[in-house]
Amino acid sequence: MEKIDRLGWAAGIAFVSYGLRIGIRASSPQILDRLQGLLPPNAKPARGPRVECLYSLIVRGTKVGSNVRRFNILYADAVPLARTKDTDQVLEALEMDLQLYVAERARRRVFVHAGVVGWRGRAIVIPGRTMSGKTTLVRALVRAGATYYSDEYAVLDERGRVHPYPKPMSVRENGGGRPMKILPEALGGTTGVRPLPVGLVVATSYREGARWRPRRLSPGRAVMELLAHTVSARRDPERAFATLRSATAVATVIKGARGEATEIADVLLGRLSEQEGRGS
Amino acid sequence: METTRALMPRARQDELVVEELPDETLVYDLKRHKAHCLNRTSALVWQHCDGRTTVAEVAALLERQLKIPADEAVVWMALDRLGRAHLLREQVTLPAERARYSRREVLRTLRRAAGISLLLPVIESIVAPRAAAQASCVTASVCLAAATPSCLGGMPICSQPGQCCRAQGQSCVVKKC
Repeated sequence: MEKIDRLGWAAGIAFVSYGLRIGIRASSPQILDRLQGLLPPNAKPARGPRVECLYSLIVRGTKVGSNVRRFNILYADAVPLARTKDTDQVLEALEMDLQLYVAERARRRVFVHAGVVGWRGRAIVIPGRTMSGKTTLVRALVRAGATYYSDEYAVLDERGRVHPYPKPMSVRENGGGRPMKILPEALGGTTGVRPLPVGLVVATSYREGARWRPRRLSPGRAVMELLAHTVSARRDPERAFATLRSATAVATVIKGARGEATEIADVLLGRLSEQEGRGS
Repeated sequence: METTRALMPRARQDELVVEELPDETLVYDLKRHKAHCLNRTSALVWQHCDGRTTVAEVAALLERQLKIPADEAVVWMALDRLGRAHLLREQVTLPAERARYSRREVLRTLRRAAGISLLLPVIESIVAPRAAAQASCVTASVCLAAATPSCLGGMPICSQPGQCCRAQGQSCVVKKC
C-alpha cells in the first residue's frame, strides 16, 4: 500500500471515458461538484470501484482561525502532479492531465489535436499545435454556419469518422491567462451529435497578412501531417497509421498559412460544398 | 549509363511499422520515434534492399516501372537518403565517383524524363510528437505549481510560443521546449 493510500479520503468518483476507467478521490467532499465539470465529454459513472488510473486531490483551503492558505496537492496514482495554494490552478492541472490521459490511451479511438466542424454531412478537421489559431478558425466557421464538433481533439474511429468532442470552446482573448469557455450556441451555432466522414483537412496556422494559397498534399503526406498532431503516435503508431489512412481516404488535405480566419471560413465551406457536388 | 556490380544493402526490418499506400510507403521507426514517408522511387529502392540484387539491376527496374532513365545515380541517391533515415541495416558507402552526387546533378542526369521532380527519391520525415505536446497550453502559474518529476508532461505555455513547462532541479519552470 502506497503512503498516499493511508491518507483519509472523504469523497470520490469513478467514471468511464472512451473505454478507460478512471477514479478521482478528494480530501474534501465539497470539491466533488467542481470535479464534474472537469471530466471529459461523454464520461459515464463507472459501475465498480476498480480503476486504471486514480487521481488523488488533497484540498486544504484556509486554515481554521487564521488567514494562512495551505497547499492543495494533486497526484496521478502515486506521482505528484501539482502543488499550489490556488484551488483553481490545481483543478486546471487535473483537467489538463485527465484530458491528455484519455486522449493518449483511449480504446478504439485515435485523438488528433485539432479543431473540427461539420458541414453538410462532412467534417473539416484543422490539426495544429496549441496557439496556432485552431479555435479562432473554428469560431469563424461556426459563425459562418458550420456545426461545432471540437476545438481540441478530432476523435477518430477505426473507419476514420470524426466523433464530437463537445467541450465548450476555450478562448484566450489576451493570449495567456485562464481561458473563457464559450458554447457554440453563443455564436449562433449548434453542436454535432453524429460521427462524420472527413471531407477536408486544413493544416494551417495564422500568419499576419498571409494570403490563402494552400497546396494539396499527397495521401502519404496527409497521414504524416495528421500524425504530427496525434496524441497516441508514440504509444500505438500502427493503429494511428491505419486510422489516419482511413480518415484521409476520401478527404482533401490542404496546407498553407492563413490570414484572418473570417476571410477563409467561407472559402473552406465553399470548397467542401464543391467536393460534395462532385461526389468525392 | 554507368554500371557497377555493387550489391544493394539490406533493408532494416526490426522495430519498424510499415504502411503501404498506392504511391507511397509510410514507415514508423519505433526506436527513434520518427515517421517517414517514402515516395514511389525511394520505396521501390527500399523494397529491393536485399543484399543480393545489384544497384544496376535496381536502376533497370526503376526504368521499367517508373520510366526513369536507368542511371545508378538515382539508386545511390535513394540509398543515401534511406541510410540517413536509418532504414538500412548497414551503412551505405557511396562509390568515390558517386559521393559528390547532389540533387542538382541527379536532376541534370535525368533531365530527359518528364515530371522528373516527382520521381526523385524523396523521404519526408517527422519526429513523432510526445503526447504532452498535443495538449492545450497551460498558464505559467499552473506550470510553476506543477510538481516534479512530470511538470505536466512538458506542456506548452500559453502566450509564450516555444516555451514549455520543464523540470529544473526540484521544481518546474518555464523553459524552451
